Amino acid sequence: MNSLTAGRLPRFVEFYVLAGSLVVVGGAFMLLGFNLGGWIFLSVVLYLIVLAALSTLAENRRKAVDRIVRSVVTIAFLLAMAPLVSTLFTVAAKGIAQLNWGFISQTGGAVFNPQTLKVTITAGAWQAIVGTLEITGIATLMSVPVGILTSIYLVEYAKPKQWMARTVTFLVDVMTGIPSIVAGLFAFSLFTLIVGPKAFSGFSASVALSVLMIPIVVRSCEEMLRLVPHDLREASFALGVSRFSTIIKIVLPTAIAGIVTGVMLAIARVIGETAPIFMAASFTDNFNVNPFFGPMQTLPVLAYTGIKFPGQDIAASIASAWGAALLLVILVVLLNIIARIVAKVFAPKGAR
Amino acid sequence: MLARRGHHPEGNTVKFKHVATAGAVALAAAIALTSCASTPSATPGASNNATSAATPLDTTLTGTITAGGSSAQANAQTAWSTAFHTQVAGTTINYDKSQGSGGGVTNWLAGSYDFAGSDAALTAAQQTSSQANCGAGGALDLPAYLSGVAIIYNLPGVTGLKLSSATLAKIFTLQVKTWNDPAIAADNPGASLPSTAITVVTRSDGSGTTANFTTYLHDVQPSIFTQAAGTAWPVAGTSGQQGGSGVVNTVTAGAGTIGYADHSSIGTATAADIQVGTAKTFVTYSAKGATNAFAAAATTTPSTKGDLTQVLDYSKITNKDSYPIPLLSYQILCTTFKDPAQAKVTKAYLGYIGSEIGQAIAAKNAGSAPLPAAILADVQKSLALVK
Amino acid sequence: MTTSEAVRSRGNAAGATGPRSPRGGAGQARLKSRPADRIFFGLSLGSAVLIVVILAAVATFLIVQSIPAITADWKTSPELSTGPTAGYSSFWSYVAPLIWGTVWVSAIALVIGAPIAIGIALFISHYAPRRLAGVLGYLIDLLAAVPSIVFGLWGIIVIRPLLLPLTDWLNQNLGWIPIFAGKPSTTGSTILAGGVVLAVMILPIISSISREIFLQTPRLHEEAALALGATKWEMIKLAVFPYARSGVVSATLLGLGRALGETMAIALIISPSIGFSLRILTEGQNAQTIAANIALNFQVADALQRKALIGTGLVLFVISLAVNIVARFIVSRTGKSGGPRRRVQLAPPEAASLFVANDPALSPVRGTSDKAEGASA
Repeated sequence: MNSLTAGRLPRFVEFYVLAGSLVVVGGAFMLLGFNLGGWIFLSVVLYLIVLAALSTLAENRRKAVDRIVRSVVTIAFLLAMAPLVSTLFTVAAKGIAQLNWGFISQTGGAVFNPQTLKVTITAGAWQAIVGTLEITGIATLMSVPVGILTSIYLVEYAKPKQWMARTVTFLVDVMTGIPSIVAGLFAFSLFTLIVGPKAFSGFSASVALSVLMIPIVVRSCEEMLRLVPHDLREASFALGVSRFSTIIKIVLPTAIAGIVTGVMLAIARVIGETAPIFMAASFTDNFNVNPFFGPMQTLPVLAYTGIKFPGQDIAASIASAWGAALLLVILVVLLNIIARIVAKVFAPKGAR
Repeated sequence: MLARRGHHPEGNTVKFKHVATAGAVALAAAIALTSCASTPSATPGASNNATSAATPLDTTLTGTITAGGSSAQANAQTAWSTAFHTQVAGTTINYDKSQGSGGGVTNWLAGSYDFAGSDAALTAAQQTSSQANCGAGGALDLPAYLSGVAIIYNLPGVTGLKLSSATLAKIFTLQVKTWNDPAIAADNPGASLPSTAITVVTRSDGSGTTANFTTYLHDVQPSIFTQAAGTAWPVAGTSGQQGGSGVVNTVTAGAGTIGYADHSSIGTATAADIQVGTAKTFVTYSAKGATNAFAAAATTTPSTKGDLTQVLDYSKITNKDSYPIPLLSYQILCTTFKDPAQAKVTKAYLGYIGSEIGQAIAAKNAGSAPLPAAILADVQKSLALVK
Repeated sequence: MTTSEAVRSRGNAAGATGPRSPRGGAGQARLKSRPADRIFFGLSLGSAVLIVVILAAVATFLIVQSIPAITADWKTSPELSTGPTAGYSSFWSYVAPLIWGTVWVSAIALVIGAPIAIGIALFISHYAPRRLAGVLGYLIDLLAAVPSIVFGLWGIIVIRPLLLPLTDWLNQNLGWIPIFAGKPSTTGSTILAGGVVLAVMILPIISSISREIFLQTPRLHEEAALALGATKWEMIKLAVFPYARSGVVSATLLGLGRALGETMAIALIISPSIGFSLRILTEGQNAQTIAANIALNFQVADALQRKALIGTGLVLFVISLAVNIVARFIVSRTGKSGGPRRRVQLAPPEAASLFVANDPALSPVRGTSDKAEGASA
């Protein structure tokens, strides 16, 4: 043993102590009655105590604290992985039975048999998928230009500490705090003023989602634009290129990957909103493809109503609610993946 | 029924078919429907007759009806709109069940809806403010959906629970805390009741079911259930859950739990038998029981010409063929529409709901109880006033 | 060196020499002004103005809608003395317990969530194997994208039953502590369950932002601490935490903002009663939050009751505003050394999660290039 390793515990001491704790506590629990949560919790406590004791004896107090913190931090991380895995597993397990091509591609609805008076409900999410894509798509089309232009104003045009820029930045922060149901009410009231009382439409839901999306887009784009080094702009100006061309040809392409990712994540954030959609777009079982007239169905609302107002066949309603929830999660994950791919593709490549 | 038969000769046909097919068709017996409403379903082709018996459906109508409100009606509305759309292909009906009764009436008062589904009739103030959109004739409350408030429980080892109205009131005011309480034992002689603590599950959201149930408790046992009736559950200390489905799920998942829900939404949960009248008579929920209770207890108290607001006097529900806690839901519409075409299509749809065939469809597909024929005749008469 | 790396390092250089330098400032250079330029400037300014207009419209809408209910006499009004608003003498007596409930549930979520979130951030920034860090960060951020309705349902079927044994245990053994007192819930719809689910929902927000800030710690400070013989934890205490304190505080406040406004998960899980209660293990004596109360009662509320509920929404809006102002104040008071860091600290969760999901080379906040590669590899 050389002087460097003297007074140090063996390399994998944490693993040995953890395994030992699990076995000891597990054995105790076997005698007293098994409880998974209690087993893990007590094992971890025992592990921390033993590790602290060992380390204090063999090393010193400082090292002991270091090891404890390392363990606690790792445990915090594993603790956070548990709900993530659990959430995704729950949705997948409950939704997978419902999720087949028929559920995705067919319009949900009901068929009436005049002979028996029986109304047969067919589960289907197609109109909800279309509704979600249209409403979120329109919201994106409205929020993204406004968001990007505002961030361009803040980064490229406004002088530092200018009152207008400060006001806008502050208001954008404030906007992130608007409760989503308020956004829905606001959009519905706005459209009642414009088009009269029957204001339900996918478009008004899009406006509600835009109110929620714009601040997110502004914030992420602003961050991305600020990353673009000032040298690039100055080089462009030095060559006599106008500010407009500099922004369009230099600044935006440099930041495009980040902007696209930010937009995608903003979409992911609003696509699951329920309250603003049923405030502004109402609810329908019918298939409505026109976002400018009449109620529309969406995936989060399908999930919510399936749970809250189940049909006569309660199990079937709840199954299709989980199916819708799973579809939504898949959609969000897909968007995340697309965002990452887009970010990779558009990122400036190679030295020039 | 008599009045209608005078107007519609087909009424006799229905009667005849009732005689001809009763007992012969197992299906008719299987569907526990009241009166002659069940018969058309048994005989192919008869439904068209029955439909025309109520209101001749104009199958050439076109238009979109936008409505919403009561979630109690949600399943019935799905069935009605599907059936109506099947026969009148040019129409689209959007009923927003996520709004709830209050949201339905609010949106309807604002003119966003052609009609509102509501578990409560309009208040005097709402009736007055409706004149802004509806003209001087005001608005009509038309009974459309009848069901019962079921008392569901989950107590392992105990089935066939019977509860008197007093015990029910004590349980729901948390005065009775365990299942082996003498009050419950007195209602269930011979049953072995565990000492499990009672967990009372109620609605955390405002609800028409809560309004119906608290009205019943307050009317029948005013000395025990002293709290005022209303859409919000008034007793603190219960387990409040969101939505009827939240109550049903929590009751089913727990042990020693008891709750209340619209009978049509309880699924496989177990419902208790409830005392009717003051004697020790306990009644299991049945659609027929709800219909009978409604017929016995309801009085029409119009707030405007043609209005069919019902006032229920629970003390009149004494017969053992009646279920003591009926649940009624209305359709609310203007007497005068701004657009006559919209009035026509809305009238046709609501007329269909208020027909015997409409009630039979709801009974079959949403588990509701058919409204008595007399009130349906009144609904048709009131609809005739709508322009 | 790739362009993107150049971008990053030069960005840092610019940040070091002058924090404000990326801001162009129209007056900096005299450029040719073309019609396209003017139009584009007009569009940008117009968008900024539009945001001001939208927010003003939302605020006006809230105020106009809620004034009749706030000023009404709650005792005599036929509408407000029935239904969800029955039994309150004024708007303020209705909203006060709701404010308490909102703050209480959010505080519980923070107490549970914030330490774990900061632990995660520390794990990813300083403890995780470098190859794993980026992937792990992405996984945590994925939590931010799960719709809240899914969290609500997950809370009902997983968290509620899971916490029941703990609820009983705490009540039996620690029932003398006021928050654990009372009759324990048998169904699991407790404040504790709501707080745990909310904690999970705010985890990604606090941890993404904290992680970015931990990663910004100047490498030199860290190496200096290690060179003096500090253990890793001592290095973190000496170099990382002092540098990151204000940022972590504002990250936590942003998490608080999210918790305050959460509707659906709380409405589905907690069994509420509007009142002042500290207890977290009971049902029916739970505090209620503003957002969940709106969601639960909006459907039966009539016109004036709706206005009252919108009034509580206005109060929530003001609370969110206050949280934002506090976050800003803390950052501006203690963040002077940070320079460009300021922007990041106040970034919303979405922007923060972006940094990890994004090509790391474009990330604004890596201290030095080897650090960035470490986190992104």
